[in-house]
Amino acid sequence: MNALSPTPTKKYDLSFARWVYRNVDGGDRLALCMQCGTCSGSCPIGAQMDFGPRKLFMMIRAGMKEEVLSSNSMAACVSCYNCVVRCPRKVPVKYILQSLFTVAVREGYAQSVDSDNARFARAFWWSAAKFGRTDERLVTARFYFSYGLSAGFKKSMANLAIAKGMVKAKRMHLGLPHTCKNAGELRKILAKAAEIEARHAT
Amino acid sequence: MTKTLSYYPGCSSQATGVHLDTSLKAVMSKVGITFREIDDWNCCGASVGHICSGHVPTLALSGRNLAAARAAGPEDVVTPCAACYLNTHHTNEEIRDKPEVKAEVNEALAEAGKSYDGSLHVRHICEVLVNDVRMDTLKSAVTNPLTGLKVAGWVGCQTVRPFAATERGGKWETYDDPSFLDDFTKACGAEAVPFKGKTKCCGGSVAVISPDKTLHLMKDILDEVKASGADVVSTPCPLCQTNLEMYQPAINQQFGTDFNIPVVFYSQLLAVAMGMDAKADAGLHQHLIPPDAVLSRAK
Amino acid sequence: MTERKTGIYLCSGCGIGDAVDVPALEGVAKKEFKLDSKSHACLCGDEGVAMIKADLEAGVNQVAIAACSARVMSDRFGFEPVQVLRADLREKVIWSHPANHEDTQALAEDAVRMVLTQAPKVKAPEPSVEGEWSSRILVMGGGVTGLAAAAQSAALGHDVLLLEQSDRLGGRALDASKRLPHTPPYAKPEANDIEALVAAVTGNAKIAVRLGCTVTQTSGMPGRFVVNLSDGSVETVGAIVVATGWRPYDATKLGHLGYGASPDVVTGIELEGMLKAGAVKRKSNGAPVKSVAFVQCAGSRDPDHLPYCSSICCATSLKQALELIEADPDTNAYVVYEEMRTPGVMEELYRSAQAAGVIFMKGKVKGVGADLTITVADELIGEEIPLAGLDLVVLATGMVPNSTTPNAPAPAEGADQLAGDVDPEVPFPVAGYCGGTAPAVHAKREQAIPDGGSLLNLQYRQGPHLPVLHDGFADSHYICFPYETRRTGIYTAGPVRRPMDWAEAAEDASGAVLKAVQAVRSASAGAALHPRVGDLSYPKVSLNQCTKCKRCTVECPFGAIDEDEQTYPIVNSTRCRRCGTCMGACPVRAISFDNYSVDMLSSMIKAVKIPDEFSGKPRILIMACENDAVPALDMAGIKRNQWSAHVRILPVRCLGSVSLLCISDALSAGYDGVMMMGCKPGDDYQCHFVKGSAMAAERLSKVGETLKSMMLEPERVTQAEASIADADRLPKVIDAFVEQITAIGFNPFKGF
Repeated sequence: MNALSPTPTKKYDLSFARWVYRNVDGGDRLALCMQCGTCSGSCPIGAQMDFGPRKLFMMIRAGMKEEVLSSNSMAACVSCYNCVVRCPRKVPVKYILQSLFTVAVREGYAQSVDSDNARFARAFWWSAAKFGRTDERLVTARFYFSYGLSAGFKKSMANLAIAKGMVKAKRMHLGLPHTCKNAGELRKILAKAAEIEARHAT
Repeated sequence: MTKTLSYYPGCSSQATGVHLDTSLKAVMSKVGITFREIDDWNCCGASVGHICSGHVPTLALSGRNLAAARAAGPEDVVTPCAACYLNTHHTNEEIRDKPEVKAEVNEALAEAGKSYDGSLHVRHICEVLVNDVRMDTLKSAVTNPLTGLKVAGWVGCQTVRPFAATERGGKWETYDDPSFLDDFTKACGAEAVPFKGKTKCCGGSVAVISPDKTLHLMKDILDEVKASGADVVSTPCPLCQTNLEMYQPAINQQFGTDFNIPVVFYSQLLAVAMGMDAKADAGLHQHLIPPDAVLSRAK
Repeated sequence: MTERKTGIYLCSGCGIGDAVDVPALEGVAKKEFKLDSKSHACLCGDEGVAMIKADLEAGVNQVAIAACSARVMSDRFGFEPVQVLRADLREKVIWSHPANHEDTQALAEDAVRMVLTQAPKVKAPEPSVEGEWSSRILVMGGGVTGLAAAAQSAALGHDVLLLEQSDRLGGRALDASKRLPHTPPYAKPEANDIEALVAAVTGNAKIAVRLGCTVTQTSGMPGRFVVNLSDGSVETVGAIVVATGWRPYDATKLGHLGYGASPDVVTGIELEGMLKAGAVKRKSNGAPVKSVAFVQCAGSRDPDHLPYCSSICCATSLKQALELIEADPDTNAYVVYEEMRTPGVMEELYRSAQAAGVIFMKGKVKGVGADLTITVADELIGEEIPLAGLDLVVLATGMVPNSTTPNAPAPAEGADQLAGDVDPEVPFPVAGYCGGTAPAVHAKREQAIPDGGSLLNLQYRQGPHLPVLHDGFADSHYICFPYETRRTGIYTAGPVRRPMDWAEAAEDASGAVLKAVQAVRSASAGAALHPRVGDLSYPKVSLNQCTKCKRCTVECPFGAIDEDEQTYPIVNSTRCRRCGTCMGACPVRAISFDNYSVDMLSSMIKAVKIPDEFSGKPRILIMACENDAVPALDMAGIKRNQWSAHVRILPVRCLGSVSLLCISDALSAGYDGVMMMGCKPGDDYQCHFVKGSAMAAERLSKVGETLKSMMLEPERVTQAEASIADADRLPKVIDAFVEQITAIGFNPFKGF
């Protein structure tokens, strides 16, 4: 299901909508969208999206692949699931955005690749895959410094008060990272999973 | 009643949400639930894992946990964390319902000599409290009613969405006006104040990643807490608790407000109401904003 | 003729006896009318009814009852064939006015006076039944609707004459590939089963089919229409079902949507034929159709073309898209729409089309290029989007009703019958619409008017056509009286009445057939049809009084009255619906019914005791329409809404039946004000007799001058709209009018 989306040959790619229906998680229900706008109206973060879910879905139907995958809409999602539970046609809106986000990252759309979420996700996955568990301190640091040394330092300083408080409350620790006993086993599983994931793309 | 459940604490139980883990375990001991922690559990991937890893690796994360839980026994898997619940529940359903997914996840698990058949039930601990333990059991365990304490019950998003009203999620709550949290408050002998922000979103992981994009969401929630006249906010979600607590200074700075509202877990209120120790059992010392109104009522 | 002996009965039950002095009411009968009466604590109970029945045995031949509203207990108080008159002491007296008050007592006494005055002025109606009556039903049109109507008429035991203009039965359905879903789960196109219906009709011995046959002339009336046919024969039928169907809107007018620019721009009708013929190929080069766009509302809901929605084009496009996708699952099918309209179960077809991957674009088509590129101003994206690479563009054109015979010459008279009630150039009020007024539907009125020959060529005084409601559809009122036309005994069914699909049309045929059956059965019994079902009275014209002014023949909403060679009116009794509009129109009281007349109304008006000006109590007359106003006032009473006790309510059949003479009689008698309370007239009329309340309004508009000449203020006479749901509003309307009249002052004629 991870085959690359069709490369547009003209401004409005007629096959993109079909590709999304077939290849995006929940995309088969996207076809049932009746453009009522309940999703966009329910979205707490809609104002910050380039396009709300309703419009984004319409653009998919119009074959506007570039505009869709270049948008910040997917990264902006806060996963509140209002759209999912309220959609009168049971379109799993959040899941579709999430899956489109993965598509955009995989296909190298900068808005998504360089998004805060994607940077954080890489830091997060690094921790989860390496240690088996997430370590807030290391994930945060790795995330901050993904913007470069000076930006990372600035971000760290801005959040120093919070970090200090958390350490004091014993909700963030300074020693060795939390880890699974058998993190090696998990790494083997994930390596295989990544291999399976890659199989889909071919 | 007595019941053993397979317990998946999630990463926050060792860090930002450690006081949820502490207080929950304390409460369980009073209502006949025994937690059997999943052996050597790992991270579920939270709200962001899939972005760069993709579908199968994310499923493999929870797949390993479920395999370990199943190996230990057929008991239901419970978790107190909203994100852990969604990921583990989702993975479990995918493996159970889609043969091709089951095959792929098991292919990955086989690398470690493990397998999982999709036969477990994954549940949120609040649903267990509502459906299995039931309110009257909670009430009867209360020895130190928190009389006069005004509590705003803030459910947030993922504890109830998208599953609470479905058969898949145990059909135990509504999406927009859930009552369980206020019922917990009332079981404690405290007052559940009317609170409009009940299921508003704090921004979740985006609040952690890019607080500037979501401070206004938390400010709205705090405004409504203030309007409700509550002494304290109660929540079931570890990320909600951390976000709403730790960002109050930043919100005050950006919006010129003076919020200093304690945010606690329902389980901490229950632990205190059940007469247990404020620190050792309820973890009430682990807050950035000390919940004085609760502490003053602790035995 | 036997001597009239009226039994008078008063009921003191339901609290009437507690709120008014019933013995005093009996005193009114005794002292003022020299009549004995009986009262009972529960007149509708077995004992009360037995008391009345005993009197009937003893020779009472007319019954006057003062109890509850005439709208209730009609079964308990029904003593056919004895005439029963009713005065309402409950809903419109004690339930709507304070108990034991002198004004309430006066109101009750006047109610008794009015019914006792009415009694000698009326008699049990004698129906008009002489002559031969036919129960045969003529069905015009051999399409889905006509076939279903013929089959169902025959199933109900009636002989049927089925006419079809063309040389085959089956209509447009014969050219369709599949039909819209009509069986659960309504999710996919279904097989075309028209052949089975055709076979059922041709094999039915009760149905005579004439192909290539049309009507050249129709005269007579329900129960005996005389119909001349194009094959030279003359037939007599009892009722007529018009099922002439529809034709597609002329696509050559749709050049702006690319029609004519390329052979690959086709109408939905043309695609239907292509689908029926087999694999759909491009007309231009025979290449397969891989990418197709359907343009919805092509010439529909467009002020320059058809102003209305044809209701089936959206579903038809969905069906065609699904058929194309079924033939080749890789087909890209686009539907460009402004609003998808998939009424009822067609929503399931919409879901199926969405699930099948049909791509929906909401917006207006800005243009269609010669290369078939459609430019869509996409409302949901807010951009103009070129849809390129299409192999076929399908224009979903609308339905035009065959309420005339297109291509036949228009008759010399009757053009106004086709203009409709609704002026398409005038904005119309819509509840809830922003600003309260919707824009006019049509820029050019003439396009909303059907042309061509008359379907039936009716030999009626008022012209040859079936009058249309609006947009050319032949009907009288979509919601309240479907199937009814304004020509009694002639019923429309199917798309000639309003746009509809195959299954709806077949169902519609049932409705019209039931009406037609009712028409032939009622005709031979001399009984009225909707809305005064079963009324045996009919208008009788006193020719020696008639001045041949023709108002009755012109104003009858149903064209029931023709003129003889000397231009005297001839009433065709079974065409009549007994509204009394002719009676209200007649300036010389020449028209009356056995049980309803200007004399009766005027006498009842004058029966009311008018207090002098020193009492401080005005008297106001309300002539209230029985169809909506009276029930709404009853409802107000049931809800215990209160209104002024100074008004006297006189129920009338329709405001159209109110003669201006009644109004001048009321003012001469000393009433201080007169209100006509009835259904809404105008474009969106609710009048049960179509034009009655409009005629009343028109007559009233001319009464002002008369009032001025009497030195009376025109504001003393008014018309108020009432609908069935106005129980809360009407008491306020009444009280406001009473206040207004009080402010003007007493009628100076009082006491003369």
